[in-house]
Amino acid sequence: MAEQEEQPITQPDPPGSGQSRTGRAVSIARLLHRECTRLLQLYKEKETFLSDHTPDGGRIVSLSSESEASSAEEQVQCLHSALRQCLGLLHCVILKEEEEWGKLEGDYETMRKNVRTRLEHLLHTTKDLVETEEMILEVTPDHQCNEEVDGAGGLFGLKMWTYRVLLELIHWSDHAAQTLHVLHREREGTEEI
Amino acid sequence: MHTSARALSLSSRPLDFLACSVFLPSSWNPRLLVSPPPLCTPLVCPDSACSAVPATAQPPVLTSPVPASSPDSPLDNRLSSVCLSGCLAWCCCSGEDHHFRICRLSLSQLIIMPRLAVSPSSKPNCSLIGLICIFLTLSATHTHARIAVTIPEQVSLLASMNTQQLSISWLGGEATTFDLIILRTEFNETVFYGTVSVTVNQESGRHEWNWTSAEPLECTSLSVRIRSRDGQMTSDWSDTQILQGSDVPSNKDTQIYPQDRIVPVGSNTTFCCIVAEREVFGSIQYRSTVMSATRLSRRTYAATVVNQGPSRASGTNVLCFTDRSSSLSGAVVFVGYPPQLSDFVCETHDLTSTVCQWNNGRDTSLYGKRRTRYLVNNRDCTNNSLLQQQTECSVPQWEENWTLVAVNSLGQYSLTDSAELSHRVCPVAPVELSSVVHAWNATVQWQWKYSSYSSLALVCQVEFTAGGYKTKRTFTGVGLRSAVLSDLHPVEDYSVQVRCGAQQNFWKWGTWSKPISFKTKTDVPDAPDVWMWRNRDGTGQVIWKPLTQRQSHGQITGYSVTFWNPEENRQHTVILSQYTIAVPFNLTQMAYLSGDNKVIASVTAKNADGMSPPASVSLRLPDVELPAASRAVYTDEGFPLSWQSNANATCSFVVEWHETSCTYDCPVDWIKVPAGNTNVSIESANFQPGVRYSFSLYSCPSDSPELLQRWQGYTEELVPSGSVRLSSSQQGSDILLTWRSMPMVDSRGFLLGYNVYISNGSQLTLLANLSDLETSYTVKGFSMGSYKFTVKAYTSAGEETGTTVIIAMESYSDWLILEILTSLGILSLLLVIATFICYKKRKWVKKAFYPDIPEPKLPSDWSSAQGPLDVKPSPHSMVHIVEKPEWDSSKEMLVVIPEEDEDDDGQGIGDEPVDTDEPTSLRYYNQVVDERPIRPRFPDSSTSSASSLDSAHTDVTYTGIQTSGSSLVFQLDPQGSSEGHQPQAAHSVSCRGGGYQPQMQPRAPSDDMGLASAEPLLEAQAACSGGYKPQSSWHFDSPMEAEERGSLAPSLGSPTSIASTQFLLPDGEEHGEEKRQSSSAATWFTNLLSSTKP
Repeated sequence: MAEQEEQPITQPDPPGSGQSRTGRAVSIARLLHRECTRLLQLYKEKETFLSDHTPDGGRIVSLSSESEASSAEEQVQCLHSALRQCLGLLHCVILKEEEEWGKLEGDYETMRKNVRTRLEHLLHTTKDLVETEEMILEVTPDHQCNEEVDGAGGLFGLKMWTYRVLLELIHWSDHAAQTLHVLHREREGTEEI
Repeated sequence: MHTSARALSLSSRPLDFLACSVFLPSSWNPRLLVSPPPLCTPLVCPDSACSAVPATAQPPVLTSPVPASSPDSPLDNRLSSVCLSGCLAWCCCSGEDHHFRICRLSLSQLIIMPRLAVSPSSKPNCSLIGLICIFLTLSATHTHARIAVTIPEQVSLLASMNTQQLSISWLGGEATTFDLIILRTEFNETVFYGTVSVTVNQESGRHEWNWTSAEPLECTSLSVRIRSRDGQMTSDWSDTQILQGSDVPSNKDTQIYPQDRIVPVGSNTTFCCIVAEREVFGSIQYRSTVMSATRLSRRTYAATVVNQGPSRASGTNVLCFTDRSSSLSGAVVFVGYPPQLSDFVCETHDLTSTVCQWNNGRDTSLYGKRRTRYLVNNRDCTNNSLLQQQTECSVPQWEENWTLVAVNSLGQYSLTDSAELSHRVCPVAPVELSSVVHAWNATVQWQWKYSSYSSLALVCQVEFTAGGYKTKRTFTGVGLRSAVLSDLHPVEDYSVQVRCGAQQNFWKWGTWSKPISFKTKTDVPDAPDVWMWRNRDGTGQVIWKPLTQRQSHGQITGYSVTFWNPEENRQHTVILSQYTIAVPFNLTQMAYLSGDNKVIASVTAKNADGMSPPASVSLRLPDVELPAASRAVYTDEGFPLSWQSNANATCSFVVEWHETSCTYDCPVDWIKVPAGNTNVSIESANFQPGVRYSFSLYSCPSDSPELLQRWQGYTEELVPSGSVRLSSSQQGSDILLTWRSMPMVDSRGFLLGYNVYISNGSQLTLLANLSDLETSYTVKGFSMGSYKFTVKAYTSAGEETGTTVIIAMESYSDWLILEILTSLGILSLLLVIATFICYKKRKWVKKAFYPDIPEPKLPSDWSSAQGPLDVKPSPHSMVHIVEKPEWDSSKEMLVVIPEEDEDDDGQGIGDEPVDTDEPTSLRYYNQVVDERPIRPRFPDSSTSSASSLDSAHTDVTYTGIQTSGSSLVFQLDPQGSSEGHQPQAAHSVSCRGGGYQPQMQPRAPSDDMGLASAEPLLEAQAACSGGYKPQSSWHFDSPMEAEERGSLAPSLGSPTSIASTQFLLPDGEEHGEEKRQSSSAATWFTNLLSSTKP
């Protein structure tokens, strides 16, 4: 089990503080990625049947093909949108799990809460980075959580769907770290964070 | 799951009448069986007939797995035959599979034909006549049935997937008994076949019957057919109704059933997996356990889990695996318990509303949506919190009777309670606590949340915590809002909290309030605990114990010690810092203060609030002899000390203790014992094992202390740490081991004795155990060699390592010689000293004991007539010295003694001592009339010889002088000074001449050597003796005689003089007796002094 880096969850730093905003965003995205990985690990410890299972099927959240050739800022804007979708999915997971299993206070539930807060933090950070007067970015999720989970239905389907959401979080947090790093490189002219 | 079935065999019937055997499913209810018709006609089923009837896969042909027949099946469970009268049937009989077939005949009459259970021996033989009879009978019966039994119509199926219950309804006319058969459509496997009695539902006008499936109804399609029965008559089967399963080709994906089922702990659940099209079934797993699966249809497999245990919050997973690794289907099952509550009580806090509480008991293992829901008096009390199980519910008013119902998916549980409001008052926690604080007390005040409490009689507990200790005090009052806490300690931090209950009809204590804290005020300190230590020289220390925080009542700023004389009212005060705990004193220097009276030291402590009361101790102890210390034995509770006390004693006691080895300014500890106590147990964290402590009991410590009793003891005795100082010494053949007593510090216990060992190589052999603490030991009887001894002191804990000494034993004969030599040396030294003294005092001695001998008085001048005395000694005459103890005055004459041999002479005097001539001389003196001292006859030197001759006399008695040859023979041996010859010379003077030859000069021409040695002697004699030369000039007359005498010369050569004057001219007899008395002592001194005469 990899040792997790403990970092306090704070609100976005005001402009002009030591680390660059893009660098800070990259750090947050990388930390989010580690926490999402840890969250999936904890979930697999609960649902052991998932340990050797790789679900088929595509992404739950995907970008439109138009964004592939866009600028770094536009890619971050798309990333922001995808992360917002992920936050909606995570909210839905938390809601459904608490409804079905009750409010528990284990390691998984604690990390799940951390990921949600970290993801919200990253959304605020990316919003600050790429929001323009023309492009107003929202942070709150628009996922209504009223749609059925994966086709099989039932609570086993909820577990499989949760698994896919967690994989989605890992994917998009990793994607966020890379995309934000590109933006950081373009804006700061350095690889260093 | 397989459905087991019973084999119904008719083998007991005559073979000719056997129609067929029918295998019924086990679910068949025997009570619903139709009795065999009394006129049942045997049906003969030729084998050849089977091939004539084509088997169909449609409902008329139903199959079911048939296990082996059961021989124990009761006869009434057997459907002996389904013989339809009036029907000529030909039956299909096969012994190869386990199915029976319902053969549709041309007359639409149903005959159930066995295919298996007919034994070979029961192979039917068709009889033409019988067949005809049967045909006629069946035809008649069938005609009758068609009139009375109608076929069920409008069969309808209603499935409840959750309960796995199939509700079957139909229109059955007047019939009340029906045969039902349910088969798995795809495999034509019968899961139910039986006759049931069903009444018509008055509302719907339909017959309804419910059937519960062992498997989920989704697993596979089921076919249902019904027929009416009236006794032995049945109608035709209804049309088949099919309950569609989820394994129909339209549902291509993998599915597993049941989903999200909630079952009780310990139950059995059958799960089925419908494999996706074109996939191969792998396995069914419950948690991580692979289950044994049974195929229900082309795509459906089922497995049953038995005795399920409780699941976790997110349920238990059931998985279905196929050959596609990416395909994972599953279901979740929740296994839990129905609610089981206890301790349901309702009470009021505000005197208006109701709060009901209960205990949930065991965990139901059902959470979230499946959690238990609660109703109190039919009001839903379920909270919206999903965090934990609920245990409380509020009702806005008091109802006095309450019913709690707890419900979950597995069941419900209800409890009731009833009470009056006044009996169920549980006050809320007091709020807004405050305090008014003093040094020794404080007042705590609080408020109530509800104004209704103002008229409520309350009992309240105030709990205050100080120094880790909690104390509760109870107060009562109507609408109580304050309490005074007394007996607090100054400068102490207190934490106080309050709770209350109804004073009347007390129900329970309310909730504790939030605590408040305060610190009490300061006050003057307590008096210190004072004692003193006194040394033997009159010095000592006044000691007191530092005041604890609880005793100081504030920061101590200092101490003052006052020495004072209560009788003369004189005092001396010393001011000390707050860190001082002792002050020295010297009573000898305080004489101005005390004289010989007692001195009292009073110690007071001071803080910001003032001085403490004084604590006094008397410094002067009466000079009495210390009482003997008894031993104190340490126990788990310390040193238990006890003493006898005077019943009238009013003084308290002090028990002090210190290390016994300490004697000056010792760090002493003490404890004060109240008056009247006669025992105390002393325990201290400073006690160390192996250290001896002295305990002293004093009475009246503050006024006139008196030492009453002493103890000594160890908390734990140890092996001595030191060793004795051992030394050894040889005492002849013995070895003396000595050692010094061990210091008390090293003994580390009460010494019980010493063990003395001798070492033999590496082994110690115990020689002695000295339990009386002797410090020496003598080991006896050792020969020469080296020996090693070890002495070990021991206590009750054991013996120390010991001290070893090695001693090499020396030969003790040397010591004996040395002692002898030493004795001789000492004796010689004494002789020398005596000789020296005598020599120095010789004149006095001589004068006192040996006065000069007066010169003989001669009547004529012997010198002129000097010449050879021509007397020829006779060899046969002799002058013999006669022993005569008594003086015989009548024999004043020389007696001639017959000549005797020398040997005889020698023997004659053999009784005399050989090493001295003195007795003989004394005896001679008894015969000598002359009282003059005797002089030695054989001087040691020529000079002394001359002198001797001069003064010597011969103390012989001439018993007779024979002129004819008697002579006196002198020994001429130059060795004549030898003592060895003296006795012989003195006693054996033999004169063979027979005549008088007193001063014979042994001149023999043939013996020059003898003469040469004799001449000087004779000359000296002549010079000293004057006119007595004729005696010294005589010689042998003839060579023969000379020769004869020559042989005697060595023994006769002693220069003996004869006091011839005295002898010849005795003075008279009046002095004879007196002279004889002193002659014996005088002789010794004479000899002594003559040798020392200069």
